[in-house]
Amino acid sequence: MSIKVDPNLMKDLKHFGLKDASKCFHCGNCTAECPLSETGTPFPRKLVKYAQMGLKDKILQSSEPWLCYYCGSCSDRCPRGADPGETMMVLRRWLTSQYDWTGFSRKFYTSEKFETMAVLAVALFVGLLMLVFAQEFDWQNASLEKAWPAAGMEIADLIMAAILSFFLLSNVWRFIKFSMGDLLTKIPLRIYTSEAKELVLHFLTQKRWAKCEDRTQWVIHLLIMTGYTTAFILVAVLLCGGLELIGLNWDALRFQRPYDPATGRDVIYPFFHPIRLLGYYATIAILIGATYALWGRMRRSKAPYKNSHGTDWMFLVLLELTVITGIAVHILRLMNIPFAMYALYILHLMVAVPMLVLEVPFAKWAHLAYRPMAAYLKGVKEKYYAELEAQKAEAPAEAKAEAA
Amino acid sequence: MANTVTQSIMVVGGGMSGLSAAIEAAEAGYEVFLVEKNPYLGGRVAQLNQYFPKLCPPYCGLEINFRRIKDNPKVKVFTLAEVESIRGVEGDFDVTVKIHPRYVNEKCTACGKCAEACTLEIENPFNYGMDTVKAAYLPHDMAFPLRYVLDPSLVQSAEAQKVKEACPYDAIELDMAEKTVDLKVGSIVWATGWKPYDISKLDNYGGGAYPNVITNVQMERLAAWNGPTQGKIVRPSDGQAPQTVAFVQCAGSRDENHLPFCSGICCLASLKQATYVREQYPDATIYFFYIDVRATDRLEDFVNKVKADDKLIFFKGKVAKITQDDATKSLVCRVENTMTEELHEIPVDLVVLATGMQPTTSETPLPTPVPYDEYGFVASMDAMPGIFAAGTTRTPANVAECVADGTAAALKAIQSVVRR
Repeated sequence: MSIKVDPNLMKDLKHFGLKDASKCFHCGNCTAECPLSETGTPFPRKLVKYAQMGLKDKILQSSEPWLCYYCGSCSDRCPRGADPGETMMVLRRWLTSQYDWTGFSRKFYTSEKFETMAVLAVALFVGLLMLVFAQEFDWQNASLEKAWPAAGMEIADLIMAAILSFFLLSNVWRFIKFSMGDLLTKIPLRIYTSEAKELVLHFLTQKRWAKCEDRTQWVIHLLIMTGYTTAFILVAVLLCGGLELIGLNWDALRFQRPYDPATGRDVIYPFFHPIRLLGYYATIAILIGATYALWGRMRRSKAPYKNSHGTDWMFLVLLELTVITGIAVHILRLMNIPFAMYALYILHLMVAVPMLVLEVPFAKWAHLAYRPMAAYLKGVKEKYYAELEAQKAEAPAEAKAEAA
Repeated sequence: MANTVTQSIMVVGGGMSGLSAAIEAAEAGYEVFLVEKNPYLGGRVAQLNQYFPKLCPPYCGLEINFRRIKDNPKVKVFTLAEVESIRGVEGDFDVTVKIHPRYVNEKCTACGKCAEACTLEIENPFNYGMDTVKAAYLPHDMAFPLRYVLDPSLVQSAEAQKVKEACPYDAIELDMAEKTVDLKVGSIVWATGWKPYDISKLDNYGGGAYPNVITNVQMERLAAWNGPTQGKIVRPSDGQAPQTVAFVQCAGSRDENHLPFCSGICCLASLKQATYVREQYPDATIYFFYIDVRATDRLEDFVNKVKADDKLIFFKGKVAKITQDDATKSLVCRVENTMTEELHEIPVDLVVLATGMQPTTSETPLPTPVPYDEYGFVASMDAMPGIFAAGTTRTPANVAECVADGTAAALKAIQSVVRR
């Protein structure tokens, strides 16, 4: 078996934010310090070694970067200041760009100019579409339903969902192939299906994170995650109360309700209606989470916030702006200020859509798929190996029985 | 010699470096004042079980040096003494030395009657607090000067009078007071040495709360015939013989969060201590957890000799965490084998932390400005005109290096008062 070495790997990783990895003298403190590191999947030192030695393929085969939740205790206790936690973060960025077959992700990560231009381009395109497809701007009554009817927005949502899913899932497939290798087909399907619930569980709870020394990060992430999931369900899945296109919808669950022909204004749920309360929860949860993360990164308050890549800022800024413009739209609609509301709504989508389109398949947000998948595949592998061990233990016993 | 008012030399610190400097200068014909903070000379070497690499007791080397001092009227020794201030310039320093009361005068014959009469006990500083000693005590068996000391807590207690009356030689003076001595010297050798890095800062190793996690200096006392266990290496928690002993290297050394430098001596010191364990326990498993083994020149022979022991496991990996079983007080070391990338949790009975050398000057600097390096060591032997740093005051060093360094500093100090 030959091992390929890329002497330029460390240089390349610098574009992804690598700083101090070359200071590592391989004492192993980080790996033994990490509460998530296990015998079968030891990290982070192994990955730092791969990076230093230019073992690109080895990194590509590793799922460990996705098993690390960056609590930062390895970096805090590193005797050399080699910041192994940051190296793991850098490898997650690099891996995201490697899984992406389009090459877009790599450009997005390695050039801040490209990153900014991409966001601007998508934003302008969305703004243009919003203007082109706008139905009726009622300048007396602020009505979203009149300007952009939910039925039309649903079609746009579906197109976007199809495109995003295609890119993300094809990248996830590459991740699975790289990290599983020959095992992918060797492991019986039975094990994959029996562990499937773990995939959902990890997606929803990030439960491994609870083992970290500093649990604040987990809680903050849960706020952002549950907030965003709630918002996503409301504005994408339940915009029309389901799939209006094929008649699979319930008006009782509709997020954007038809306008009242009598007043000409959108009908808004009463304050204590569950849908409206869920909307408020989503807003507040993301606002707290994103502000905490932004503030932490600005003050470099702890190890995971000490080094910020351009894409970290971009993601948080877009998220924060999405919430702020969303709040503005809500208030302007309640106050019935049509022009400002229409403008803010266009801005809201000019922020939210680029964030989704660029971050979900190609950048930071792709972790929503890679992380639970890595945790799930780890469980699948462990179960497979445990079965092999059990078979090995049984085999000699059977042989003995036959001999007797 | 225009500016040289006096040719006397002051040596501060009576450990290996200071002793060597003082004796060499005195034997070259110069008057020497030797100032020592402890009530005895010999420093940390006196607390060793065996010298390295010859593995012989330190007392024989120290005995020769004490003999040389006794025979030489040019050396004046001040124990329990600290330098308070230094004023003046090379060739003409005015030094104030503060001397703490010993409460025992030169009539003492070290008969031990005072200790017999005393019931009050104090933590034994000579054994790093691993046992207690009577508050009227001889610092250690071969203490020089061979004279008892009274702890201030005893002097203030109701027992003081009884202890004083027990002395048949009228050697105890309960009203002895602190005094200061003014000295005029031409040059100064500073050799205040080092202290073991404070393990309370190593919270990942229990921070001193686990009884069976001891430091390398404590291990020397544990293995020494005049130590707290008369030389038996046992677990401090229950006095049981350890089956498994772990030596954890770089405990607070080569670490940005603690001492960033390598103390240079701990690798071989731990391997030396591994031979203590092996001598007492032929079947014990010994782990030596290291980042790199720093053995220069012929010291590698020693490493190879120890490596031949097949129950001594050279384990490449820095221990990140030690946890204690609260019931048995046994320990588990969490460590990555960096050769195989495997993560291990290794149960052991006794852990010896190789804590590094923190320069005393990092906490107690000279009372006059001299340049220090970033770790608190005096930056070079030529600290200032007329002031010379020797031994571990300027760099981590072993005993033999300290002897050579003390001698070198003595020559510098002599040149300083003679050459003008």
